[in-house]
Amino acid sequence: MRRRFFAQPSAAVGVGGGATLLYVAFIGLPVVALLIKAAQQESFFSSLTSGPALTAMRLSLISSAISMVVIVLVGTPFAYLLARSRSPLLRLVDALVELPLVMPPVVAGVAMLMAFGRRGFLGPPLEDLGITLPFTTAAVILAQIFVASPFFVRSAKLGFQSVATDHEDISRTLGVSPWWTFWRVTIPLAAPSLLTGLALSWARAISEFGATIMFAGNLTGKTQTMPLAIMSAMETSLDTALVLSVLLILGSLTILVILGIFARRQWQGTA
Amino acid sequence: MAGNRVSHGWVHCRIGSFELEANWSIEPGEVLVLFGPSGSGKTSTLRAIAGLLQPQRGHIEIGGRVVYDSDSGLSMPTHRRRVGYLTQRYNLFPHLNVVRNIAYGLKSWTSAAAGERVRELIEVLRLDGLEQRRPWELSGGQQQRVALGRALAPNPELLLLDEPFASLDMELRRIFRRELRSTLAESNVPVLLVTHEREEALALADSIQVIDQGKVLAQGNPLDVLGQPGQERVANLVGVENMFQLTIESRNHHDGTMVCVGGGLRIEVLVDAGAAGAPRQNASRLTTGPVGVIEPPTGKGESVTVGIRASDIILSHQDIRGSTARNRLPGVVTDVELMPPGYQVTLDCGQPFRCQITGAALDEMSIRPGMDLWAVFKASSCFLVEASANT
Repeated sequence: MRRRFFAQPSAAVGVGGGATLLYVAFIGLPVVALLIKAAQQESFFSSLTSGPALTAMRLSLISSAISMVVIVLVGTPFAYLLARSRSPLLRLVDALVELPLVMPPVVAGVAMLMAFGRRGFLGPPLEDLGITLPFTTAAVILAQIFVASPFFVRSAKLGFQSVATDHEDISRTLGVSPWWTFWRVTIPLAAPSLLTGLALSWARAISEFGATIMFAGNLTGKTQTMPLAIMSAMETSLDTALVLSVLLILGSLTILVILGIFARRQWQGTA
Repeated sequence: MAGNRVSHGWVHCRIGSFELEANWSIEPGEVLVLFGPSGSGKTSTLRAIAGLLQPQRGHIEIGGRVVYDSDSGLSMPTHRRRVGYLTQRYNLFPHLNVVRNIAYGLKSWTSAAAGERVRELIEVLRLDGLEQRRPWELSGGQQQRVALGRALAPNPELLLLDEPFASLDMELRRIFRRELRSTLAESNVPVLLVTHEREEALALADSIQVIDQGKVLAQGNPLDVLGQPGQERVANLVGVENMFQLTIESRNHHDGTMVCVGGGLRIEVLVDAGAAGAPRQNASRLTTGPVGVIEPPTGKGESVTVGIRASDIILSHQDIRGSTARNRLPGVVTDVELMPPGYQVTLDCGQPFRCQITGAALDEMSIRPGMDLWAVFKASSCFLVEASANT
């Protein structure tokens, strides 16, 4: 009789449906609560255009955009090499790529201070060159690259692996050099994965908090990105915090949706 | 554009523990077929010629240009070798439509000349109306034609075809074999085609090479090499249906025949090599490489292997007296098996004989197991198979 409990479709659907409802409510309730609370604010638009909020938004957009440019420029050839090479050394590097994913962001910030900080490994030589990294906008960007790049590299690597080397070989037999083969065959075929990786990476960079506050600090107009501004605002004005939170959610969603549309693979399911 | 120069070469490749020694020579307009089982080194040979696989040693000339030479350290990159390469799965570019797939290898594919070339190929390959389709919207046969067009568009000096019919069904294969022949005849480009199908090799080859375990076993005229292979390994590869271990009883030096007996059989065999008046030169004997030319054993009492193709045997209800067929053996049908394009009948004449017949013949004679029949075949349908030197 106990066996029949799960064998009955209605019972299985019931359990699954209950779990789904619980999950959706758990994730959805805070998001909905946030939206409702924000909408109830009378000073919604005045908070939006308040100085610190605007400054934080601008800084978040610019810093994350620069981070993405660097990640794509360096990450794409790196991911291609990881996808195509069989050298044992690169296998090791491959495993290390995922390290920032499991490292707590605060720890990443401390680690970056130890490397580039005033008393870190590269601090003194950089200072001799007149470069100070910690607590600058550059540090914000470095922190974002550190935590967000694995999302792009991992996805791009999988994308390149999915491109059959046969396609590249054929292209070369048709008189197209390896360089142009990369642009005319490899990149277009891997594009869906590259865009998915970019979306995830960007969302992660925009929400970056722990490493930033450790390595770059919380200086308005210089290093205070939106997540940091939310934390600061919570101490003084809930309105501003709520408005910034909603904007952050909407911004991340927009990135995911737009890139998701471009990432749709038209030829999916074909050899 | 394909010049009037021979494409030829040889390579020695080591891939893991696999050793490949290949050599080839193809005239303009000629189709050379590399025939062998999978894993024999056929595809590796094509890849070495295309520059996608680096040989240990070798010398490769394509249309009179040296593209690889291990002695001088020359190795031209793939994109400058001017070969067309058609892979088993075609590998059309999924992000491009039919026109842009075909135009892919053309310099400045938007130019008038490129457009003209693409239109020409679309017409020859009967792809009209499909210009804007993407590869996944095409049938297997259409994909194959697009891939062929793409390979031919930049006027290659040599065309490499790797099992070009592997992903088509039987019916389509027959049609496309004919099409491919006529397309190739028009372009005059030399072709190196790889296959493990006997029928395909016979239909397309001007000359043939049998390759196994990385070595060339035999080469020559397709009918000779595949029809009456002189070596045991080749005979096994091409699937000679009937092979018997017999002993030479007597030899007639005058007409070049001998009588072989064993296992209840008594068969008259025409021995071609060196026999007076024997007209046929068995090209499969002209092997290269380590196997070399071996004189068949012809002394009395020596044991030999005799091969007979299933399609060379005639079945009849009565003993056919007064004919030129030198072998007539009575037997009992033990098995009838469907074997496209016809049927294979097994006849026990002391030893089992496999005979290939058509469906019409099977019906008309109402052949079924237990029936008494005669197997009739000419002495010249029997050929000696040399035991392999190195197996």
